[in-house]
Amino acid sequence: MNKYENNRVGYLMGLPYIIFFLLFVAYPLIFSFILVFHKWDIIGPMNFVGFVNFSHLLHDSLFWKSLGNTLIFLAIHIPLQIIIALVIANILNQKIVARGFFRAAFFLPVVISGVVVTMIWQQLYSQETGLFNMLLSKISLPKIPWLISTKLAMPSIAIMATWKNVGLYIVLFLAGLQNVPVSLYEAADLDGATGVQKFLHITIPMINPTIIMVLILSTLGGFSLFIEPYVMTGGGPMNSTLSCVLYIYKQAFYFNHMGYAATLGFAVAFIIMIVVIIQRRLFETEIYT
Amino acid sequence: MLKSIKSFLIPLFGLIFLSESISLCAKDNVVRLTYWPSSNPEEIELATSIVDEWNRTHPYIQVDMQPLPASQSSEEVLFTAVAAKTTPDICSNIWPGIVPEFALANALVALDKFKDFWDVAFLRTTKNILESFISKNGHIYQMPWKGNPIMMEYNVRLLRDAGIFKPPRTYAEFMNAAKELTRDTDGDGTIDQWIGIINVNPVWWHRFFDFYSLYIAASRGRTLFENGKVDFNNEYAKDVFRFLQEGFKKKYFPMGTLQGNQFLLEHVAIQFVGPWDIGFLEKNKPENFEYDFAPLPVPEGTPEPILTYSDPKNIVIFSTTKHPEEAWEFVKFLISKENDLQLLKITYQMPFRKDLDIDPAFKKYFKENPKTLKFAKQISYTRGTDNIPQLKEIFDAIAQAFEYCCVYGQQTPEDAIKNATEICKQIIER
Repeated sequence: MNKYENNRVGYLMGLPYIIFFLLFVAYPLIFSFILVFHKWDIIGPMNFVGFVNFSHLLHDSLFWKSLGNTLIFLAIHIPLQIIIALVIANILNQKIVARGFFRAAFFLPVVISGVVVTMIWQQLYSQETGLFNMLLSKISLPKIPWLISTKLAMPSIAIMATWKNVGLYIVLFLAGLQNVPVSLYEAADLDGATGVQKFLHITIPMINPTIIMVLILSTLGGFSLFIEPYVMTGGGPMNSTLSCVLYIYKQAFYFNHMGYAATLGFAVAFIIMIVVIIQRRLFETEIYT
Repeated sequence: MLKSIKSFLIPLFGLIFLSESISLCAKDNVVRLTYWPSSNPEEIELATSIVDEWNRTHPYIQVDMQPLPASQSSEEVLFTAVAAKTTPDICSNIWPGIVPEFALANALVALDKFKDFWDVAFLRTTKNILESFISKNGHIYQMPWKGNPIMMEYNVRLLRDAGIFKPPRTYAEFMNAAKELTRDTDGDGTIDQWIGIINVNPVWWHRFFDFYSLYIAASRGRTLFENGKVDFNNEYAKDVFRFLQEGFKKKYFPMGTLQGNQFLLEHVAIQFVGPWDIGFLEKNKPENFEYDFAPLPVPEGTPEPILTYSDPKNIVIFSTTKHPEEAWEFVKFLISKENDLQLLKITYQMPFRKDLDIDPAFKKYFKENPKTLKFAKQISYTRGTDNIPQLKEIFDAIAQAFEYCCVYGQQTPEDAIKNATEICKQIIER
């Protein structure tokens, strides 16, 4: 087989993905970018409007509110998720009873449909008949307006999203923890280090790449927050759970403002890029090898 | 032997070839139409029955029935289908609010181009209803099919137990009834029975079944626009917001979403619904469950008859059809008296047919189903929506105002209605 034939076979092997990429990634991306400069309602002709969509975005208070809501969600969800996942992964990395069962149990919510989980939690959070408020009433505590308070609705969604996703990050942290050389802990034991000292000075630095990965994945996942507010609150109360993606969805599929929705999409992508760069600058450190 | 086999086989193959050729020629002459009805089980049953009958009696115009593909709303599916040019020939689940946009995009066949359209339409439907569906360009793109007048459904036993022997007519009577009906029935310190339930999510179409129906009732049939201009910054709209705000403020309506059908579970005594609920309740109600219907509550002094929102669903022919004439024939079949009776029997929904409550063809049905007769009488006193392409945005603005004012009490009804009308004006001007 000569070099040309070898390359041809390679190209043929890659062809399905190249076609997939062109059709489902490159074409929509380019088309969306063209849409940014147009007004289009899907079924009518596209009208060129220049930078009108950008100008609208800058003055659209609801977009900035949705961005603020998303950042509130991230501020609660990411630390909560990383801390809980790290602690549980650390426990599941020890030789505890029924370790396999617990590893599977924590991962289970990840594989359940997001809509199903959201609908169950919607009932758990129900002001009048929800389990959480019924338990609070049993111990004579006041009911909490989980989803009907503007201050509590987004944190409530963040708690639910953490419960749903934490299993995935536990698995990632477990993989990271299992790659930490045991000799480092043995050396620390000889030096008389405590458990906390070992965790802070060996475990955390050694799994820093995993932490960065979890941070970035959580950020991307958090910015794409959609199902939870869509199903649970519809963006309410008073737009306090309106996320960026839900707002883009409403603009695109409720009102058929395709050009403006595309502009919002690019704006959110740009903001995600900035946030991820900042995160990497702040948290990425040299790792010991 | 071989010769005799040959003499048998050759004519046999000849016959097979001939019959296949005739069959292929016949198939070439068969027109095939695609029809999308709504995807709920009752309407699929209705559509199946109608299409079977049509196909049996029209061998050269065959209809393929396919329920509307599932989605959050039919409008989303239809928009996507129009954009992708994958629309069916006929669809019978068209919300009139979407028609102006489709008409602008040339996605629909103007039905008035069919010679007998007006004859057929006037024979079945009132002039008022037909006129309300005429587009700005003077054409009519939708055949009025059915309406679901929104009425007040009430639990007779719950009201009777609370000492209320006739359903509340005015807002004041409603609030007095609410005082009696909203309570903690099991003594655990938590309210578990309310007078009514209103969906609190700020989703645009939910407002058809509370604010908009109540607004039409209070204003005796006004819609949101007058001569193309936003026209709901008035006392009627404020009265409705005040009424709903008071209901939420005094906890007569539960906050949030409750699991299951709260009316069937007897946790709420009243709800605003269309006739479709009769079918659901008749199938699922427990023994001794008594319910009935009355017109929507109105402000003090509103004269009879009380109007309401019709929740209309109409029939259109999409311009992608290759057989408009045949599609029109099928539309006429869909709205025939026999099929209107089927519509009533299977779905409990009201055909837009004049004199429905006194037409002898339906007399037996209404005698056997007296609850549906109230809707048949109400259908003449209904309003649809305005023919405005931005209707979804308009209702979204109202949904936002409803949430801020009625549910959370953050704005006065006056400010909320004023702000909503200002936003609606901006939407129209944009």
